[in-house]
Amino acid sequence: MSAYPPVKTVEEFFKQPAEYQEAVRKIVRSHALNELYGAQVFDEPAIALAPTPYAKWLTCRVAMEEYHHHVRFKELADQIGVKPEAMDTRNKRPLNIFEFPLKTWEEFCVIKMLGDLAEILQVEDLLHCSFVPLRNIARTTMPEEKFHAQFGADFCVDLVEAPETRARVQDAINRFYPEAPKFFGASGSKNNELYRKYGIKLRKNEEMRADFIARAQDIVGKLELKLPEIAAAA
Amino acid sequence: MSADVHAAWFSALGEPLGPAEEADIAAYLAALGFTPRLPTLVVASWPQAAGLARQPAERWWSAEEAERARLERAVRLDPADREWLALADALHGAAAVAAARSGCADQGLIRAAAGAATYAAHQYRLARGAGAGADHPFVRKYALFAGGRWPLGVYGERFAIF
Repeated sequence: MSAYPPVKTVEEFFKQPAEYQEAVRKIVRSHALNELYGAQVFDEPAIALAPTPYAKWLTCRVAMEEYHHHVRFKELADQIGVKPEAMDTRNKRPLNIFEFPLKTWEEFCVIKMLGDLAEILQVEDLLHCSFVPLRNIARTTMPEEKFHAQFGADFCVDLVEAPETRARVQDAINRFYPEAPKFFGASGSKNNELYRKYGIKLRKNEEMRADFIARAQDIVGKLELKLPEIAAAA
Repeated sequence: MSADVHAAWFSALGEPLGPAEEADIAAYLAALGFTPRLPTLVVASWPQAAGLARQPAERWWSAEEAERARLERAVRLDPADREWLALADALHGAAAVAAARSGCADQGLIRAAAGAATYAAHQYRLARGAGAGADHPFVRKYALFAGGRWPLGVYGERFAIF
């Protein structure tokens, strides 16, 4: 639980130290852009890759939910003074995991299973955030994020039944997973130190990364597949 | 858009077809290049709808996608538009209510139904944005959704509708 007193409104936000305000702006901006990138480069294109109308329609709904998450974070960004140009995806390089070249349905299911797991951990860390409007967005979006990760895991369960698609799922894991731990930022991060100082986030980047790796191993292990070896985290 | 939120989404699932709906189906199929006399299967339950929709329907989907791609060369829509997202959420709510009334608690299937209606609404907005008239297949399909149906597509030699 945060030691920093709760900041209940946007009006109270502007009375906080400049350092606090800037830290919150960074996180809100990051989430808004990640949700947008995810919808644009993965969810929307995946509708065409899905094998059946059921999978296509479900993917369509997931894409809409991701766009809605983006809008929730962006509205808060607007309220707390994030400059419009800072919210333009043309002005900020996407995180490494959004550069994965999506080409198959199996890849998409792995991205939902593992990529959205990474997003769940990030959102989990905001569930007790000292800035209450951000905490509330995290709590609102969390059930849908969980559904998205489960969606990926459920389709992977189906896909691993046949040898050919099982091999494709393993191949997608081998290529997507190595970049995923970088999603949590550098160990010993100064930004993260500030986030924890102000009760915006709870855990160190390296703690979240270790948790992600453990949970990813558990999920992939249930499919009787393996995570590839990766270099020691940053 | 506000009128769309209050349409009869998912309220006539499994009911016998009326003449206006049969006319919409025939016009929709003909406009997509299928025979308008294709037999129609009226699906009776959520599990039956799920079973059908989990089968490939590539010829039908490709016919729709070709038309969508053609329309998108002329019309661009913002998927993060607030009114549009409000409609998408209303569709999800309507699908959840309809499913609950039938004892269906399958969150994936409810989301798939919402996604189907959302996609149809997107196609409709593209068609209208391109100046298409009442006979456009996406306008016909949207009328079926807005009247409470869930058109499921063409499977084999049958058109299925819930």
